[in-house]
Amino acid sequence: MEGVFPQVVFRIGEIPIRDTVISTWVMMALIIALVAILRRLFPDTLQTLVKTLRDMISGMMGRPTASYLPFLGTLAIFIAVANVLGALPSIPIPAFLIPGSTEGRMIPVVSPTHDVNVPIALAIIVLFAVHYFGIKEKGGWTYFKDLISPIFLAPLTIPLEVLSELSRTLSLSVRLFGNIISTDLIVAVIFSLVSWIAPLPFVGFSFFTGLLQAYIFTTLSAIYIAGAVESSEVDV
Amino acid sequence: MAEMDPGTLITFTTIIVSGVGILLGCILPAIVEGRAVLKALEGMVRQPEVADDLRGTLIVAMALLESTAIYVLLVILVLIFANPLITQLITGE
Repeated sequence: MEGVFPQVVFRIGEIPIRDTVISTWVMMALIIALVAILRRLFPDTLQTLVKTLRDMISGMMGRPTASYLPFLGTLAIFIAVANVLGALPSIPIPAFLIPGSTEGRMIPVVSPTHDVNVPIALAIIVLFAVHYFGIKEKGGWTYFKDLISPIFLAPLTIPLEVLSELSRTLSLSVRLFGNIISTDLIVAVIFSLVSWIAPLPFVGFSFFTGLLQAYIFTTLSAIYIAGAVESSEVDV
Repeated sequence: MAEMDPGTLITFTTIIVSGVGILLGCILPAIVEGRAVLKALEGMVRQPEVADDLRGTLIVAMALLESTAIYVLLVILVLIFANPLITQLITGE
């Protein structure tokens, strides 16, 4: 069970750096390198990928997505790559890179999303982005007026709104974290029983779950944003 | 039961509660998800032209239902791997 829960690898001053942070750096380098190579060699492929993503997101929201695509597309790519990253092997770190150490070590590459801080951070970003897009689309006053729409029920609706915002942020983050850590645990348990061939189907299953969770996280964010930006004026 | 020391009692209770909890937490969402799939499939068979819309909605709904099982799993993981009561017992009140 050692590799399943995040562990502190080294410290910069007082700040502990966990292996999930290092994996995030690896992931950033990978994505940037991949996109640079694709852009140089196969620009059409990159264009097709972005178009597919755009069509997917506009299908979820049911409206043109020009202003939401940068945010939602980034979320989708980040979570999808982060969830499948755990399949990479460890990175060897030579001794001269580690201050105060005489021998090198192996740092396992894990999914950044199986540290609970990453899904919580992503869900908090979504929480603020929903209101940001709502205010940008409708203007501050109209947005808040729509939020508490029957004005005489305001004492009742405001606590409910706040509660639903908080609970959906919690459920977004816990859903992502729980799915990723449970599939990692399954792989770890099977690995501790039979360490050859047998864990492979479960690694495949964790790929499937990871991509599905990325899709679901993006879908739910898109639905929340669509709910915030659409006008609550009733068509009579 | 009375002559067990607190550590054994907490471990014993945790194991039993985890077993019962994961049992209920898996069975109930599974039944409800099965009903959701059943209804969606019936709808798809009846109206094949809305199958794509139904599929998207079905996946989102399944994720929402699935997350209740995940909550149970998380609570049980905390109970097994990071039980606050045992930590308190070890570090001494």
